[in-house]
Amino acid sequence: MGKKIVINPITRISGFLEIEVEVEKNIIVNSSCSGMLFRGFEDMLKDRSPLDAIYFTERICGICSTAHAYASALALEDTLKVTPSFNDRLLREFIHGCEYLQNHIRHFYQYTLPEYVKGPDFSPLLTMDYYDYRLPDKLNKELAKHYIQSTKYSKSAHEMLAILGGKAPHNHGIFVGGVTVNIDSEKFIRIKSLLSSIKDFSKNIMLEDVYIISKYYSDYFKNGKGYGNFMSYGAFENYPYEDISYLKPKVFINGEFFNFDKSYISENIYNAWYTSDKLDINPTDENTKENINKKGAYSWIKAPRYYGYPMEVGPLARMWLSGEYTKGISTMDRTIARVLEVIKITEILEGILKKIELINTKQSKYEIPIKAKGNGLTDTTRGALGHWISIEDKKISNYTIITPTTWNLSPTDSKGLKGPVEKALIGTYIKDLKNPIEIGRIVRSFDPCVSCATHVISDKYKPIKIRLL
Amino acid sequence: MKDEKLCPVLDSKKKTVNKIIDLAISESKKTNKKINLIWLEACGCSGNIISLLNADDPDIIFFLENMVNLTYNNSLMRKEGERAFEVFLKTLETEFILVVEGAISTKENGFYNVIAKYNNKYITGMEAVKMAADKAKYVLSVGSCASYGGPSAARPNPSESISVPDFLDREVIRVPGCPCHPTWIIGTLAHIIYFDKPKLDEENRPVIFYGVTIHDRCERRSYFEKGLFAEKLGEKECMFKLGCRGPITRTVCPTMEWNSRHNWPIGDNTPCIGCAREGFPDSMEPFVRF
Repeated sequence: MGKKIVINPITRISGFLEIEVEVEKNIIVNSSCSGMLFRGFEDMLKDRSPLDAIYFTERICGICSTAHAYASALALEDTLKVTPSFNDRLLREFIHGCEYLQNHIRHFYQYTLPEYVKGPDFSPLLTMDYYDYRLPDKLNKELAKHYIQSTKYSKSAHEMLAILGGKAPHNHGIFVGGVTVNIDSEKFIRIKSLLSSIKDFSKNIMLEDVYIISKYYSDYFKNGKGYGNFMSYGAFENYPYEDISYLKPKVFINGEFFNFDKSYISENIYNAWYTSDKLDINPTDENTKENINKKGAYSWIKAPRYYGYPMEVGPLARMWLSGEYTKGISTMDRTIARVLEVIKITEILEGILKKIELINTKQSKYEIPIKAKGNGLTDTTRGALGHWISIEDKKISNYTIITPTTWNLSPTDSKGLKGPVEKALIGTYIKDLKNPIEIGRIVRSFDPCVSCATHVISDKYKPIKIRLL
Repeated sequence: MKDEKLCPVLDSKKKTVNKIIDLAISESKKTNKKINLIWLEACGCSGNIISLLNADDPDIIFFLENMVNLTYNNSLMRKEGERAFEVFLKTLETEFILVVEGAISTKENGFYNVIAKYNNKYITGMEAVKMAADKAKYVLSVGSCASYGGPSAARPNPSESISVPDFLDREVIRVPGCPCHPTWIIGTLAHIIYFDKPKLDEENRPVIFYGVTIHDRCERRSYFEKGLFAEKLGEKECMFKLGCRGPITRTVCPTMEWNSRHNWPIGDNTPCIGCAREGFPDSMEPFVRF
């Protein structure tokens, strides 16, 4: 038995996460991640009005609520057979893009930067026990200043979101049929101006900052790799214009690219507290029952797999799949890809602004079918997000959500395959066992959103540890 | 150019002076007697701390540098693990304000919401809120989950969540909203820090932010008076018939708007869904009806 290290809470993420690793001769030989919050949104959604799912699922997550609104609206449009107008679709993509920018800027400066940079000199960032901070004083001061400066731009991203979506977090403007805003020149120029300042900041400050960090922490190009299998449901796709297109659904497994097929998505319950007539559950199936007494199980989270493979999702996956970044797969590459994606998204949003027409939204009254099923699969800030909805008697009869963090933090499946984050931790060299700063750096590079990942677990529970891995 | 290197002693003296100035500045910041603040994220979506980051005049930086000494917050603090929770424990020995966002999950003795592990023992949100509330000078429930149960307590309430005022046997200032508007949070704290407790209504909400209904000051009020109603989203008339909860929701949304006063839900042609109100979301549904 090696030495055990437990970190709880892993701070500077959204939600509550515990990481436990086992270390032998300073090398991580085993690891487990535990989501520490349960609310049970899928149960709550049952019997509600289908249209309410958009605003309701936003409440799953405070930092990425727009992602849920977006996926939920897609699922409802699939179910209700509604097609938004081109202009409304563009505006909705723009709103979603604002969420990417807000998330990535806050993740890089407020969540990641304090791992590598001292300061700024106020609570709760001030501390006397800095460890492994390597930047020379002058550079460190500069980057600490950028922590402060960045808050203006992440806020601006939410301001753009609010101009088109009413408010943020938890916008109102994304709805079935696209958006509710009637775009005019005044709104247009406001978002254009805000976007331009965000682009300047990301190109001139943020990009340089991540390269400075990567230079002084170049050893982080060598850890946190994981499987190197990537998946995306597609982002900014289905447009005949290159300047607003990012990537189509795609997967990368064992070094080869494949087309994405959503029928290959399943959730394995081998190590999860559920029983069913089979081990691999289709997201639209409802035949799992929670069972806390199931032998050997250790998680409330099912293990989503694609054709049986655990998949990494997120900015590095997208940049890799689209060919925009292929330098490597590691903790630092993941962080660099996130920053590069900020620039990519600002460019796409600029492209969208060039194509927007000043016309009113094409909202209509929506009839809810007596019985129907649909799904909304899209990539969002943290990766692949899927909502599956079933309607019976004009009400929600089943709602399944598989979030990006569920993919990244998934538990071991019946084949013995570990989840991507666990895999990424194993083999890591920990320099100082009293200050195992490597663990947090690797885990945060995946930008876990535990608020999202743990909404799905079942309602029956005993006061024992919830383990995701 | 090379002359600059002529006198290493002078050079080092200059540097020393700078170092002392820097040290003095940072020390003065440390001893600045701002009140300590614990911002606990409990059973919720952590959306209120994100909303706080959107604050505008004062912004989050002014708030942290000048108004409070935020010692503990899961989303922002540098420390992690036991060292993070130690800061929480240390703050309990000082004068401090407690902000709670998220509801109190009571099922299985609170184990649905674990916020830390300390000395091999899990600390639940429920336990941490109780510990801090016993000693806090003021307790604020920020957001609708903390204030009323909110989405965390939505039926069938799988985590058996309750509001902070229902959980605690002491005065709690309610600052609801889903999320709470950053100005309502900072404005309430400013009243406490620079003056005293703000005037509260019968539900313990600061009257300055929750005194008047949305309907009373709605920019679409004249349409209501004339009986002109929107039939679908995106229209300019009063959205009462689409299910707008403005008439029963008290906030300053119409005058303050959101995100640096850029917009608000009714300005985006959608009805108010009563997110700052007791009963949200269950008794506010359906949010939109045709």
